[in-house]
Amino acid sequence: MTGKTARWIFLLGTFSSAAIFLWMTYDFHRQTPRLTHTERLSEEVVAGKRVWHKYNCNDCHTILGFGGYYAPDMTKAYYRLGDNNISSIVKHPEVIYRNSFRKMPQLGVTDPEVKQLIAFLRWTGEIENRHWPPQDEKFVTAFKLREARAKNLNKVDVVMGACGGCHSFENQGRSIGGDFADIAQRITYDHNTLVKFILNPQSVKPTIGMPPQNVTPETAALIADFVLSLKTSKEVRQ
Amino acid sequence: MIRYESQRVSLWYIRLALILFVLQVVVGLWLSINYAFTLPQELVNVFPFATAREIHTNLLVAWMLLGFMGGTYFILPLECERDLFSNKIAYVQLVIFAAAAVTAVVGFLFRWTRGKPLLEIPFPMNALIVVAALLFIGNVALTIIKAKVRSPLQWMLLFGVTFLAVMYLFGMPFYRNLNTDYYYWWWVIHLWVEGAWEIVTAAIMAFIIMQVTGVDRKVVEKWLYVETGLFLFTGIVGTGHHYYWIGAPDYWIWWGGIFSALEPLPIVLMVVDTWMHVRERKNAIINPLTWTYIVGLAIYHLVGAGLWGFMHTLPPVNYYTHGSQVTVSHGHLAFFGAYALLNMTIFYFALPRMKNIRRYRDTAGKWGFWIMTVAMFLLGLTFGVAGILQTYLERFLDIGYSTAQLTMMLWFKIAFGVGLVFLCGVLITVWHLFTLQAVEEGTSE
Repeated sequence: MTGKTARWIFLLGTFSSAAIFLWMTYDFHRQTPRLTHTERLSEEVVAGKRVWHKYNCNDCHTILGFGGYYAPDMTKAYYRLGDNNISSIVKHPEVIYRNSFRKMPQLGVTDPEVKQLIAFLRWTGEIENRHWPPQDEKFVTAFKLREARAKNLNKVDVVMGACGGCHSFENQGRSIGGDFADIAQRITYDHNTLVKFILNPQSVKPTIGMPPQNVTPETAALIADFVLSLKTSKEVRQ
Repeated sequence: MIRYESQRVSLWYIRLALILFVLQVVVGLWLSINYAFTLPQELVNVFPFATAREIHTNLLVAWMLLGFMGGTYFILPLECERDLFSNKIAYVQLVIFAAAAVTAVVGFLFRWTRGKPLLEIPFPMNALIVVAALLFIGNVALTIIKAKVRSPLQWMLLFGVTFLAVMYLFGMPFYRNLNTDYYYWWWVIHLWVEGAWEIVTAAIMAFIIMQVTGVDRKVVEKWLYVETGLFLFTGIVGTGHHYYWIGAPDYWIWWGGIFSALEPLPIVLMVVDTWMHVRERKNAIINPLTWTYIVGLAIYHLVGAGLWGFMHTLPPVNYYTHGSQVTVSHGHLAFFGAYALLNMTIFYFALPRMKNIRRYRDTAGKWGFWIMTVAMFLLGLTFGVAGILQTYLERFLDIGYSTAQLTMMLWFKIAFGVGLVFLCGVLITVWHLFTLQAVEEGTSE
């Protein structure tokens, strides 16, 4: 091989690859609106992305698989956790993970920022990224099933959607705050007290670790009904 | 034994690079402690994993770039047969770069960050880095332009460092869309490590091999063209292996998959040509350790970047291993094998010459080399086991994130132990480089 041939190999290799790559970049931009639903990329979502950067979430959590591998991937976190659970975790990690082998720092994220972050994660979850990550696909499917019959969701869906980040019920949810079947046996609150408790636990029981829940009073009422309905009738109270 | 006085500017680049290398490894050990043990909430609140990770990775980038720049300043006068265009620019650039890097790292401790992995440096510091880069490229370009001799190697080096600097710009803006953000993030990260940095590596290694082995320039330059051509041919479209799961069009699976499967080819060529040049050497082996580094770099480069990268970027594998500790395994072996060893090779080439040592005492250096390379390989395997556990438990068996992470804690305890050994190797090597001593001629051999 002469020096000239070698030089041609260099030039051809570089420019052919660069040309293919630039064309595909052009096509990437053409298709991004469809694949990422840019019509839903609102100012709130962008604000949420800034929150994501501001607290350096990405150096512990991966998103789209990139970033730190220290904490779960956030691509489909919205489907996995839902509004209320994300809010509780971000605002009170020291409570949620007090017994966990791994901690999340208390970052002092404000309420409006939490809302923006949730909007960002919701939008991110909708990116058409070929069903990655594999372990979260079941949550996406379940979420979409619930969404399809939003009008007649059963109570378990609603309750676990809001409380499943900490409480468990019949093999669903996480075991941080206890199982609803046990809780129902333990508590002595009536409906109204329980609603009050869900919205602001410390106002009913000052020593409790559970953080205030980011749900509407209607949802809180539904959750209260659900929990109370789990009481098995050992005896009728006077 | 330096031929041009301005080669000396690289000394401080090298010294600073070595110090940052030690710091990077120390912070790395802290990261493994985060994984291996449960830390108290109060500590996590003030010094979270995220902060330590950004320090670890930015120190990496900083010492790599310092090594490349120092190396370039050392070999450029030899290649151009004249002094650098300006020593002053070289020093000013070093001060700006170092100040920006140190300020950025200290800023991280106070949550001053852009929160974009590996590119966390906030805008004002980024602007300083750009100024330093412009000064560097200007200095290199003017040195080449004013030289009386012309060689492909000069241009390749200039092309490499310019390519490197230009790509950095794509990481600087704020992107509204997350997928576009990561699309261009890889223009920096991927087109650096599998593009620009490879070009710089190929050019510097071509020069060092030529000098050390005495092999004919024509032969070395031919290899250089073919290798860099193949690096860029496979590497540019190979960027697609990062676009499988970000919401990019489907054809990236094929283009990214096929081109990145070809990416080991130029590295194989590099091993072959290094091996051939070493065998057909015209010079006697004066410092065996320098030769060890040259061959070690070629082989480790192939294993860490080539082999590990190849396995991990095949789309059906990557579906499970993407964003797991498998990436960590690949990242450590590839960065160490390709670029840390490149820098060490540069340092072992440059420092003895700067200290006017023809033949250096290399006992400590040899220990350093073998401890570092073996420990890093074991570390790569440990991360690999953790990664396979993680992907198998969490993604294949689908038994949850926490279960997988708990199972991996043992492997991070092992990683911490191996990391300590690695740190010893690094300290020995750095100490050896700082205190190089001549062998008194005639006493041995």
